[in-house]
Amino acid sequence: MYSDLLSALPEVIGFSNFAAVIIGVIAGIVVGAMPGLSATMAISVLVPFTFGLEPLVALGLMAGIYNGAMYGGAIPAVLLRIPGTPAAVATTFDGYPMAQKGEGGFALQVAVVSSAIGGIASAFALMLLAPPLSKVTLLFGPSEVFWVAVFGLASIIFLLGGNPVKGLISACFGVFVSVIGADPIYGTDRFTFGQLEMLDGISIVILLVGLYALPPVIDLLETPLKTDGVESSKLGTEPIWKAMPRMKGFWKTWLRSSVIGIWIGILPGAGGSMAAFMSYNEARRSSKNPEKWGEGEPEGVAASETANNADTASALIPALTLGIPGTAVAAVMLGGLLVHGLQPGPMLFRENPDVVFGFMWQFLFGAILLILLGGSLATNSFARLLNLPRPLLGSVIIVLMLIGVYSIHGRMFDVYLMLGFGAVGWVMDKLKFPLPPVVLGLILGGFAEENLRLALRIGRGDWGVLFQNTTSLILVALTVAVIVGPIVKRRILDRRKQAES
Amino acid sequence: MLKLIKSATIAGTMALVAGAAFAQDYPSKPIEVIVGYSAGGGTDVMARTAAPFIEKYLGDGSSLVVKNMPGASGQIGVTEAATADADGYTLGTFNLPGMMARTIDREAAYDRDSFTYLANVVNDPNVIVTTKGGGLDSIDKLVEEAKANPGAVTVGMSSLGGDDHFMLIKLQELTGAEFTIVPFKGSAPARTALMGGHVAMGILNISEVAEFQEELNVLGVATEERSDFAPDLATFKEQGYDLINGSMRGFIAPAGLPEDVRAKLLDAFAQLETDEEFLAAMKATANPVEVVTGDDFKTLTSDLYDLAKSVWETTPWN
Repeated sequence: MYSDLLSALPEVIGFSNFAAVIIGVIAGIVVGAMPGLSATMAISVLVPFTFGLEPLVALGLMAGIYNGAMYGGAIPAVLLRIPGTPAAVATTFDGYPMAQKGEGGFALQVAVVSSAIGGIASAFALMLLAPPLSKVTLLFGPSEVFWVAVFGLASIIFLLGGNPVKGLISACFGVFVSVIGADPIYGTDRFTFGQLEMLDGISIVILLVGLYALPPVIDLLETPLKTDGVESSKLGTEPIWKAMPRMKGFWKTWLRSSVIGIWIGILPGAGGSMAAFMSYNEARRSSKNPEKWGEGEPEGVAASETANNADTASALIPALTLGIPGTAVAAVMLGGLLVHGLQPGPMLFRENPDVVFGFMWQFLFGAILLILLGGSLATNSFARLLNLPRPLLGSVIIVLMLIGVYSIHGRMFDVYLMLGFGAVGWVMDKLKFPLPPVVLGLILGGFAEENLRLALRIGRGDWGVLFQNTTSLILVALTVAVIVGPIVKRRILDRRKQAES
Repeated sequence: MLKLIKSATIAGTMALVAGAAFAQDYPSKPIEVIVGYSAGGGTDVMARTAAPFIEKYLGDGSSLVVKNMPGASGQIGVTEAATADADGYTLGTFNLPGMMARTIDREAAYDRDSFTYLANVVNDPNVIVTTKGGGLDSIDKLVEEAKANPGAVTVGMSSLGGDDHFMLIKLQELTGAEFTIVPFKGSAPARTALMGGHVAMGILNISEVAEFQEELNVLGVATEERSDFAPDLATFKEQGYDLINGSMRGFIAPAGLPEDVRAKLLDAFAQLETDEEFLAAMKATANPVEVVTGDDFKTLTSDLYDLAKSVWETTPWN
């Protein structure tokens, strides 16, 4: 089972495949450092361009970007209190106060080391868990996959945040989009308005480019970002090997946050920002001096940054084994796999072991490279990226998006569709509707419908087929726990409060 | 302005001359081959594998350019090819029975008379497989079980209205047995479900099971004679079931091709059948070859259309 892992190694160290990871990491840090540009966006803009590339070069770029961006987000978070990516919000809590105390350089070094550790842990989790899981997934028939999808839809609850109604509307919009196209069983048209181009349903890549890339680009053109420039006084950089000893005491946080990040990554639905928040809270709770948190506690930066990198590779565990992505980024990466004719699922491990296992190595190398590339030499120069003219950047990205989307199927229809979704995304953004539930609604809604109907056919109309084996029942129990758990927790907290008062 | 008119006139005259001298010159520019599926799929591989050989037989620096127009199970591409200019510079790939079934189960902008039939190149015969350990390890046992418990045998296959579906209909008509269809999105998930034992039986194509003979029972192949592709697998005919069916892929051009152009193309495609190098290349990409050209190809298409139509009239699938 693991021997394939070793035999995939030589290929990965090959020049072009390894160069792809290096370029990916650098590009990822740049993208992450740009407020408004996220990993999801960068990768979805990239996917259409990878048609002509070797699979491992394409995947290496993606793995590198994912890891790089998760750290890159910390740079403006620390220096300007502007999170470069949503996942870096928790990094601002202590990172920015550190920068104001003149410890910005150290904060970034903590961030880069923590990011790398999170990424490495996540890559190991992927390497260890995915191969055995891919064998077990043969046991997942339509009824089990249906329950996985329902579980994922239920865990959207975590993403709802402050305004559950808006989150649910977003999710419903996603589920509606999943209905467009040919009926999965009978092939009849649904909401296609006679357009043959719509018959295959809405491509996730087109939706993602429109929804995730266009609104932030419009934002880039719309609002000039006032940076007072990044002064070197805020940085106070010293070589990273000198900074390392000061991080000795963080190992507990690193360990805890890695586990949290990996777990959140595996869960379908939740992603980087939630991992970062949860691990920040947990780290603070177990700290000896929680009152100092928020005033420039390096461990807070460590907690947030470890977790938002620890969900990267682990999000691919359900994606590669079951075809169900754990995060929006994983969803785009699945799109990238499909572009290269690689169908996720147990057969992937058997038919293309070199690619699958090579991809895992690339995650590991991407994480290690973070320290080298993002660490000692480059952090300074990356920080200056923020001074790039934003309108120029925005225009370049728009052009890339248009070319990329056109090249997927070579038709203008997709470009118009993408622009349409862009408009929807922009409005949603302005009205503060969360975007991740849309993506998950689209992916999981389609899965749930198709597999429910297949399962009912297998059971010849008997709904009992959905509860026939232990795997299904476990998944049902998990789903119920996800929905009921938060309610019960709130009840208990309320009662405790009442009792105290 | 005058210059423009002048050059336009010259161009027009040249076009006329070119038209007159068409047959000798064909092909005088690149020929576009529209593939209705994404790059890397079975139909695309066939087109790209065949292209250099067709170039060789058309001779004189001719060139074939493959253009992918994926979408709607190939319908977008084949519609484009059917409605292109019939000058021999646009060809298309053609899939059976899918392209004919689409004219029945949905609205299509073409029918069986919209094409000049060049050649069918691939015939990937259907196979019936069952899960290991399910006990149904021969076609006799399978039919017996399906007759004893009508509908109890679940059949995993790719979508309705495809070759797998027509194979099952033929089996049901031949034996009177009754099965429950579970249509997956494509053959790969159907095969995975079969390996996990979630469905009892599957209808796939021989190229899709050749490497899975250890994990699945292959009960038979729907060909007249044993397939070169997997000669160790028995046909249904040998076992007393007259079942012939498969997924076919070939090349068409729009209807109304000039006769001499058609003749030239047919001649080029016919030579594929005996080209050892081509046959080897197709075998390497898991494409069982069966070349049927011109009018025979047209008859083949017509027969399949009639079958699909008659099935649709008695038991429509949507």
